[in-house]
Amino acid sequence: MAALLARVAMGDQAAFGEFYELTSSHLYGVAVRILKDASAAEEILQEAYVNVWHHAGSYEVAKSQPMTWLTSIVRNRCLDQLRRREVDTVTLTSDDDDAPEFDLPSDAMTPAEMLIAGAEARSVRECVETLEAGPKQAIALAFYQGLSHSELAAHLHEPLGTVKSWVRRGLERIKNCLERAGMGR
Amino acid sequence: MNLSRPDRTARLDALAASYVLGTLSWRARSRLAFIARTDTAVAQTLRAWEQRLLPFAESAPPITPSPQVWRRIALRLGLDAVRRSERGAWWARMAFWRGFAVASFVAAVGLGLALMKIAPQQATQPIVVVLAGQNAQPALVATLSRDSRTMVVKTVGGAAVPPDKSLELWMLPDGGAPRSLGVLPATGVARITLPALPDVALANVPALAVSLEAAGGSTTGAPQGPVLYTGKVEKFY
Repeated sequence: MAALLARVAMGDQAAFGEFYELTSSHLYGVAVRILKDASAAEEILQEAYVNVWHHAGSYEVAKSQPMTWLTSIVRNRCLDQLRRREVDTVTLTSDDDDAPEFDLPSDAMTPAEMLIAGAEARSVRECVETLEAGPKQAIALAFYQGLSHSELAAHLHEPLGTVKSWVRRGLERIKNCLERAGMGR
Repeated sequence: MNLSRPDRTARLDALAASYVLGTLSWRARSRLAFIARTDTAVAQTLRAWEQRLLPFAESAPPITPSPQVWRRIALRLGLDAVRRSERGAWWARMAFWRGFAVASFVAAVGLGLALMKIAPQQATQPIVVVLAGQNAQPALVATLSRDSRTMVVKTVGGAAVPPDKSLELWMLPDGGAPRSLGVLPATGVARITLPALPDVALANVPALAVSLEAAGGSTTGAPQGPVLYTGKVEKFY
């Protein structure tokens, strides 16, 4: 995939098309789960690929995997928009909140299962599996569905403080575990 | 966000972790991203968390986006083969592609003919916004051509407007506050003059909206009443 990106950087349209085929459904899945809005997710995807076409040359093989690089572009845009929407709710009237929720095609996996599958794919299943149920679920919901701390608290029926410390300590444990497994500095 | 000395490393690490996880508020996100542009320690901490967490995203089941997405990308970038994602990939793989060439030539001629039929209409009115309410029923249709500042807004449905209320049309700039384009009549056709030609006036405006205001429109320059209809600005050029 890094080789494809290198061709994209040189303006190779066929490589760009192939790159899109390989990556777009993955990235769209990430975006639409976070934004819960198909057209907003599509727009972010468009912007991201337009960006890739223009800036593929700035991708540095040594620093990250192509997929990690792309995922960061798309997720950051989604999260910026999502968190900004929360601030902006005063700008547009509350009717905006009543906008029809996008129905996600029902995932066969729960977010916590996705997290475990992700760990398994990296052969570090224990890094996630050994987390307690609460922290595991909180991290998975935040990561895959873009829930904020207060949304997590409401969703999991726990005080805000509890949820925050679950997330903080859970991430800390994942970090230490990955480092022991030789991943992440 | 105070990244001052003593426990800086631990705090920065926790902040970077919640940035990548996604739980940081918008303000904290923007600030951290801003600092990361010049502060390499911050940038590295963020990157380290991306390496740790983002590969987990790959385990979420993929969802295929609508073919429109690729079309729009190709259109925006002016790529020569707009249908590359459907055809280009086949092309590369097919050893016996020659047989397909005839079929796709026929298809291309058909498509060309079809395009020629719609083209004249699109050339004069290539920007269309269908404003619809929550039931997705179109209420108003706005059209304009690329070389004119006049937007024609036609009522095609929607709820009746009470006599003491007015409909007001807004541009919704990406990342900015709504900007009024003026009050619309309750029925019929309105002609609205844009502040500039569409390429400029609508450059950063992905959508329009219509709100229900007191007669004569909002007095504050921002929508005061509920937003009844919204629609995406579709540019067919």
